Amino acid sequence: MHPSEAVLNELVDGTLAPAERSEVERHLAECAECRTSVDGLRELARAVGGLELREPPVRVWPRIERAIRLEGAPQPGRARLPATAARLTGSRYMWAGLAAAAVILLAATITLRLGRPGARPGAIPAENASSAAAADAQSVEAELRQASEHYEKAIKGLEQIAKAEEGALDPGTAATLQKNLAVVDQAITESRAALHNQPNSEPAQQSLIDNFKTKIALLQDTVALINEMRKGNQAGAARIVSGLKQKA
Amino acid sequence: MSPPKQRARIPFPSKQLTVSPDEDLVRRVRAGDAEAFETLYREHAARIYTLACRMAGSPEDGEDLLQEIFLQVYRKLGTYKGDSAVGTWLYRLALNHCLDYVRGRPAKMKKITDTLDGDRSYQPLARPDAPDARLDLERAVERLPDGCREAFVLHDIEGLDHREVGELLGIAEGTSKSQVFKARAKLRAWLGAR
Repeated sequence: MHPSEAVLNELVDGTLAPAERSEVERHLAECAECRTSVDGLRELARAVGGLELREPPVRVWPRIERAIRLEGAPQPGRARLPATAARLTGSRYMWAGLAAAAVILLAATITLRLGRPGARPGAIPAENASSAAAADAQSVEAELRQASEHYEKAIKGLEQIAKAEEGALDPGTAATLQKNLAVVDQAITESRAALHNQPNSEPAQQSLIDNFKTKIALLQDTVALINEMRKGNQAGAARIVSGLKQKA
Repeated sequence: MSPPKQRARIPFPSKQLTVSPDEDLVRRVRAGDAEAFETLYREHAARIYTLACRMAGSPEDGEDLLQEIFLQVYRKLGTYKGDSAVGTWLYRLALNHCLDYVRGRPAKMKKITDTLDGDRSYQPLARPDAPDARLDLERAVERLPDGCREAFVLHDIEGLDHREVGELLGIAEGTSKSQVFKARAKLRAWLGAR
């Protein structure tokens, strides 16, 4: 009789009692199928051990920096760093902070309930099901509309910043950005069309939000790039440009 | 996965942190040195971003979590007592934040789990010895169903034992084991391993 998968996992983890371990090892000596399973588990463990750390996108730090700057005012119950805040508040990057912070706040406050009705099957009594479903549909629609408005507002703010400062970018980078933005805009247009045809479609709703997020991320990259260039940080700017080209 | 009634203490990570603690850096940040906080971020961001991506199951969510975590670090650095390494303090704060995030999305978790469990068309990824195997393994970990992904990340990647994982996730030690074993089976199948 073969040991269970759980026992083979415990063997690989080294958590079997000595007597049981000896018994399983005797079985392995005679059973190719179980040896294959154990070899596979060990191979996976080796692969997991070889996983490396992932570098976060370059745009994250400027977003944190701006959010911290907006926390310059005293806030009860929070340990704050007055000198840091004052110094950052007075920096020359203030102009980009407000729009980017709006996006951060947006991400933190919007909680779409897409997919919520399907996630609780059987929870609604039959006689109330249709009215509850209608209420849920209205609620989701209202949240989606609200989210879209917030995203569009944030996008508009970032677009204004990017447009005002586009002269700071070299023509090749500007062209890459325009190309990427055109692709995202096309995707947003298609998502809107799909949503128009099927207003209750969860994939269509999610697709529109995802495309909004993609556009915001792209615009944030643009703002981060302009900031790095203003700082004279060629290495930071090159990293962002490299990321933009990979997405093109 | 039902949330625990009370948050368990975050245990010391069994694996060694790759960045050395820097008490002086914390002192400089507290003194208002903006560059010191950026240095703190540069030293620890990759480790925390990696943890966040794996726990959340997507780079997009990992990016949001990284940002939120460092804003918390900024707000709470005044409470750092220096009785553990900065890296350990940051790790605990980051892990707590990731766990809060994971617990706060039950509906989405259910939906994703259902989708994955019912997905018969999932294409096998590369074998672990393929050139891009590490990336494929990362992708496969992200696609694990919620519940077994967190247990797998905490046990097999972060090096916590099943008792610690159970305390953090609010599940029994035996459930932690079964979730990890389930994750391994899925990963082996997806990666085309034997």
